[in-house]
Amino acid sequence: MPLANPPAPIRTRSAVTASGLWRAYGSGEAQVLALRDVSVEFASGEFTAIMGPSGSGKSTLMHCLAGLDTTDRGTVSIGDTSLTGLGDKALTRLRRDKIGFIFQQFNLLPTLTALENITLPASIAGSKADPAWVSRIIDTLDLADRLDHKPTELSGGQQQRVACARALATRPEVVFADEPTGNLDTRSGTEVLKFLRTSVDDFGQTIVMVTHDPNAAAHADRVVFLADGRIVDELTDPTADAVIDKMRGFEKLALDMNADNASGQFTGLNHSGAA
Amino acid sequence: MLRASLKGMASRKARLALTSLAIILGSAFIAAALVLTSSIQATANDLNADRYAGVEVLVQPVEPETQGDRMVREGVPADTLAAVGAVDGVADTTTTVTWMINALGSNGKVVGGLAPTNAVNWEDESIDRELREGREPTADNEVAVSAKFVSDAGLGLGDDVTAYSLTSDKTAYEIVGVYGYPGERDTLDGGTELAFTTAEAQHLVFDGQDEYTTVAVHAEDGVSDTQLLAAVEGVIGEESQAITWKEYNEEANAETAETAAYISYFLLGFALVAVFVSVFLIANTFTIVIAGRLKEIAMMRAIGAGRGQITGSVLLEALILGAFAAVIGAALGVGGGWALTSAASTYLLDTASVSLSIPITAVVAALAVGIGVTVLSALIPAVRASRVPPVEAMREAVKADKPITAMSITGGILAFIGAGLMVLGLTETIDKSVEVTAVGAGLVFVGMTLLTAWLSRPLVAVLGLLWSWNFAGKLGRRNASRNPRRTAVTAAALMIGVTLVTATGTLMSSVKASIEDYFEGSIEAELIVSGPITAAIAPSFDPALMEDIREVEDVDAAVELYYDPADINGTEQFVYATSDIPSGVGLYGGTVEQGSLDDMSDDEIAMNASAAKEVGVGIGDTVTATFTRGEEPHEFTVAAIVADNENSDGWYVTTAYTDEFYTTRPTSALVDVADGADVEAVSTSVDDLLADEPEVTVQNQEEFTAQVTVIYDFVLIAIQLLLGLAMIVAVIGVINTLILSVLERTRELGMLRAIGMTRGQTVRMVTVESVTIALFGALLGIGVGVLIGWALQRALADTGVDVFALPTLLIAGYLVAAVVVGLLAAIAPAIRASKVNILGAIAYE
Repeated sequence: MPLANPPAPIRTRSAVTASGLWRAYGSGEAQVLALRDVSVEFASGEFTAIMGPSGSGKSTLMHCLAGLDTTDRGTVSIGDTSLTGLGDKALTRLRRDKIGFIFQQFNLLPTLTALENITLPASIAGSKADPAWVSRIIDTLDLADRLDHKPTELSGGQQQRVACARALATRPEVVFADEPTGNLDTRSGTEVLKFLRTSVDDFGQTIVMVTHDPNAAAHADRVVFLADGRIVDELTDPTADAVIDKMRGFEKLALDMNADNASGQFTGLNHSGAA
Repeated sequence: MLRASLKGMASRKARLALTSLAIILGSAFIAAALVLTSSIQATANDLNADRYAGVEVLVQPVEPETQGDRMVREGVPADTLAAVGAVDGVADTTTTVTWMINALGSNGKVVGGLAPTNAVNWEDESIDRELREGREPTADNEVAVSAKFVSDAGLGLGDDVTAYSLTSDKTAYEIVGVYGYPGERDTLDGGTELAFTTAEAQHLVFDGQDEYTTVAVHAEDGVSDTQLLAAVEGVIGEESQAITWKEYNEEANAETAETAAYISYFLLGFALVAVFVSVFLIANTFTIVIAGRLKEIAMMRAIGAGRGQITGSVLLEALILGAFAAVIGAALGVGGGWALTSAASTYLLDTASVSLSIPITAVVAALAVGIGVTVLSALIPAVRASRVPPVEAMREAVKADKPITAMSITGGILAFIGAGLMVLGLTETIDKSVEVTAVGAGLVFVGMTLLTAWLSRPLVAVLGLLWSWNFAGKLGRRNASRNPRRTAVTAAALMIGVTLVTATGTLMSSVKASIEDYFEGSIEAELIVSGPITAAIAPSFDPALMEDIREVEDVDAAVELYYDPADINGTEQFVYATSDIPSGVGLYGGTVEQGSLDDMSDDEIAMNASAAKEVGVGIGDTVTATFTRGEEPHEFTVAAIVADNENSDGWYVTTAYTDEFYTTRPTSALVDVADGADVEAVSTSVDDLLADEPEVTVQNQEEFTAQVTVIYDFVLIAIQLLLGLAMIVAVIGVINTLILSVLERTRELGMLRAIGMTRGQTVRMVTVESVTIALFGALLGIGVGVLIGWALQRALADTGVDVFALPTLLIAGYLVAAVVVGLLAAIAPAIRASKVNILGAIAYE
């Protein structure tokens, strides 16, 4: 690899820290506890997958970590910034400067070209993205000949690669990827996962990925398992098979728990997220 | 289907409410216009019925068969009155002597402006005059005045009032009584009235002759009005005519109907504009609603709904919306019409007793237009909805916009044909050039409306340069050009109003500029003595003053001008009389073509070239002229022909016959100030000399043209105000479009917020989109409006509108207004966009 590698961040430093997170939606009988006392750390330069069955709270956890949702109790820090008590303005700025996002639906702006989409966060900040860095990401993602295209002229895989480039363009402290391969065919999905892997290995990027796909999770350094709002297990250097084995166990557990827990957690998570 | 439509509508309340506002406005305006017209007429008819109530037959002078403003009336002679009184079946007669006069207020100026001051004889029984103070006039130097005169003139009981007519000198009268009219009214028609003894009224109106304006005849019991009419007609001479009261009342009502019809056309015209703008808005809303329901419609199709059912359901929705809005609109319109009638009755007719008349046509028209326009506007979106393939239900894909090619090509062709017609009309290669130009301008307008979508890309891109310094602005601008069709329809609604006001504005400013140019370019005199053209009686002054004016230091020449619409060889011609014909023509910038103006004798006449051609005379020929007050025609020999020049056009005679002129005193004077002298100082001196002349003032050219052109400013303001309505509809359109855009882009907004766009930036983005659309519409409207205004000006160039002037201030005003429209329209959508729930927006099923 060329010398232009950024100095690898010290692995032991933690990029994202959460401790004692509680999050409930609704009230009274209909109350759903999406997170129950979750404490977790994501080391800098590490690729972590968060897994769990539907309704386990993995999306809520990610939203709380990324400053998109508020917590009832507990603290979250990105780098050395604590999210607790930050207002909308500060949170927005934090997301802009320190966090990258990759969504399942790509969520590119149809009015902008691929390149403009990639530099969008910098443009919003009113700054200029480091051209050398951006062109390096573009080369890695093999997007050089697609830069002038509008999203509608790109395939799903290409769109998601543009979204990846956008997430990394500002060299964020951490990239949150929410089911990044959910809308892609296997080949495109693998390409995206390989890139995420590369960005961790070569660029020292910290990535937190929510997924339900064991094959996707197998690309991570570490897998954190959530069930019923709690971290129930974790796995380092996972393989797809190992992940599947663990999952089976939790699904049984989740079924048991659902029996004495009010059903409809899934709905609760997605629809009252506004609270 | 009905249930589905109703439920669907219930879920889109806000947007439908906004849309129905446009329909409501249109319907309300139509209903209001018709109710107002009808009610004003009913109210006026009631008032008309009070006039000569209880009288069977009226005897009036035969109106002389003349043209123009020849207004000197013959009266019904005293012997006719006596003869009528002696007719069998006549119970008694009453007389009316009335005409316009001038009366001076406490400030020494003539009372009144547009509405006249009338003299009347106290014995007149055409209307009840109710004494409020004092008593009736019994001596010739006494007068009773209407309550309105007291307030307008600032005079009261016991004061002296100076009054005079065209035929009588200024005389002071003592106010011995103040009166009102039935229904506590202070005035009959907005004007003021002075009641004299019959002899004094005849002195003012008929120059002292024993004549009457009207003789009212009461029948004895058992004599019908037609019997009486026949009997009366037998004894009156040729100079008088008799009509029944019924006929008289019908004529009066027909006259008010005509006035009311003008008001109604005016209001209906604006109602049409509002309706036209609503068409765009409604069509847009339904397109938008359907776009948002694509999946739902596709699903319905997938589970077996036929195309007809889809179209039907959309049209049903339109029908319900249209009916709902039209009913509210009609109700509001009827209420508004009633309120307007009350206001008009109070201020124009000065009566509190309003007869509300709600013609069934008002309600029917309002409902028909409201419902019809809504359903028709929804037709295209409805048919388009039925074409949604069922497979859309399964697709997530962003739907590509429908091509705008067909629309653009049609628009291009129409605009091209229109432009062609305008060229044809303007170069006068064919007949009826003004009409052809107007049709061409109309086609260009429609063509440009269709071309809006095509124009939106480049124009919006250029506009975008305004905001490109700011990233949120850049995004907003791109959003504005994202859906050219939608942007175009939204902007078109604004464009229509702006086009109309700009076109009128351009034409008006051109007319004004032409008038100003005409006076500045050709009148040599620095100062002009004249009175307001709106005065009921042509303002005039004492010719003896001219000597004094000529004595003023630095005055090179001063020429008085008498004016009469005379009859020359059987045609109506403008005749000027002056004691100094060469200077009069010269100061107007005229030059002699043939003959000489010097030392013209009293039986010589001069005229401009085209007038000579019109009458068919040359130097040395004889013409016969009869002046307005003249009994006998006079013969004149043509002494000179003056080159055509609009200021100096007309016929010139000496002052020998001014006693026979309609206005027997000079109506204006031109004062030529020595070069380099202080015009202001001369003006002040002349002004001092005019202290006792209440009707005229001295003005420099600028003031004079301002006085002449003031009427155009009024027209312009009235049009601007009413077209503000079209603007309101346009604002609703922009709000509608933006709210839809925000809804459609929820996910996008969520993403932008997630990756760090602040609320402020989001607000800015939506606002820029809004302002861009509004500015785009305004710019198009200004462009097309100026073009149309220019074409009209060119077409009217022959009639004297030969200067093209851009109403720059107005145009700047419209641009500012467009920005304001954009900002206002952006408020709700922008707040909505900034409050997008990030989690909800980026979550997926």
